Amino acid sequence: MAAAFLAAVGSARAETCDRQVFEHCQACHALTKDAGQKPGPQLAGVIGRPVAGDPAFDYSPVLQEARAKGEVWTKDKLDLYLSDPQAVYAGTWMGSPPIRDAKQRADILCVLGGR
Amino acid sequence: MRRRHLLALSAGALAAPALITQPARAAVETREHNGYRIRTYNVRPGSGSRDVACNADGTVWFCGQRDGTLNLLDPRDGGLKVVTLGQGAAPHGVVIGPDGAAWVTEGGQNSIARVDPKDHKVQLWKLNGGPSYANLNTLVFDNQGTLWFTGQGGVIGRFEPKAEKMQVWDAPRGNGPYGIALTPQGTVWYVSLAGNYLAEIDRTTGAPRIVEPPTPQQGARRVWSDSQGRLWISEWNSGNVSMHDPKDGSWKKWKLPGERPRCYSVYVDDRDAVWLTDFAANAIVRFDPKTETFLSFPSDKSGANVRQMAGRPGEAWAGESGTNRLVVIDKPQA
Repeated sequence: MAAAFLAAVGSARAETCDRQVFEHCQACHALTKDAGQKPGPQLAGVIGRPVAGDPAFDYSPVLQEARAKGEVWTKDKLDLYLSDPQAVYAGTWMGSPPIRDAKQRADILCVLGGR
Repeated sequence: MRRRHLLALSAGALAAPALITQPARAAVETREHNGYRIRTYNVRPGSGSRDVACNADGTVWFCGQRDGTLNLLDPRDGGLKVVTLGQGAAPHGVVIGPDGAAWVTEGGQNSIARVDPKDHKVQLWKLNGGPSYANLNTLVFDNQGTLWFTGQGGVIGRFEPKAEKMQVWDAPRGNGPYGIALTPQGTVWYVSLAGNYLAEIDRTTGAPRIVEPPTPQQGARRVWSDSQGRLWISEWNSGNVSMHDPKDGSWKKWKLPGERPRCYSVYVDDRDAVWLTDFAANAIVRFDPKTETFLSFPSDKSGANVRQMAGRPGEAWAGESGTNRLVVIDKPQA
């Protein structure tokens, strides 16, 4: 029973995101499709979505090319992108500096994952 | 809305060692376009060369946001000095202070940084009392020597270097404060990208007075004053350049050329020509307010992404953040 309780607590913890880091992303991005015009694309359901997948946003050529190739935002690819956007897609319009801290990236991915 | 008024006497300058790596040289290429000479300096791979500031001696500082450095280019021989700003550094904006030093919005360490013009010693003042990460953006000195700055995380602030006194305030509408400018009349203005407004800061109280641009949801990203004190604004969402004249409250706006322009930055030179950058066109664009015409200077490399410009008489400087190059467009030899 204790083991089951601990497992439940652990599961609950795993589903709780630290949203503080993502607040900075919200200067440009929304998490909902109906948030209106923002400086960057909306990120609703971005994990598993095609790269350059917000039809209301005009993306940089490098991201448009990635979409044309059929590339999709996986969790791993987003993690890599956040760690150094220019290294993954040179010429991307996103101006965010590299996020070197893996914990911060994990927190962002947690929020993007809808938890 | 001023939800929070944070007053913080600095805990004192946090001196970081001046780590200057081995000097390097930047290769230069020269070409001509529309009668203008364009020089391009290949500065440092991986630096993410972005905001620039011109020294009186001809050298140019630029922020290496990707690798946490401030860099000094000597265009005469391509000489390059690299100053590391500390662990986790990600500098965004740089200006030359009245003391001749380079002052930096060092977002990675949530600090204002000063780099000494002679020995390149780095000093940092954290935004103690403010948010843990303000996403520091842009800065400008007023005529009294006070440094005013923005944080895209939703703050504006000021720093008095002599007293080492810092104050940070929440900005109206939260996230968004971006470009900031000083007018010849001595007034300080900033724009909010996410907040979609222009505002004048009361330099006594720090209170902003919002002036709504005529285009809703325009995405006002950067601002610069011309010689008359008119504010020129680059609008990211609308693709416009707009102009506000505080003397009569009037506005004008012009759409940049192209199907879907993305106007990122604005700089007004000593002759009141307006230099813009357009990400969609991958170009620097010069706007002549007298003839209301645009002249485009596309980059010769894809994904140039010029995020800021500055200059000195006869020279308009830009950092191509996507290609790790600095570009200068020289005044035509008439």
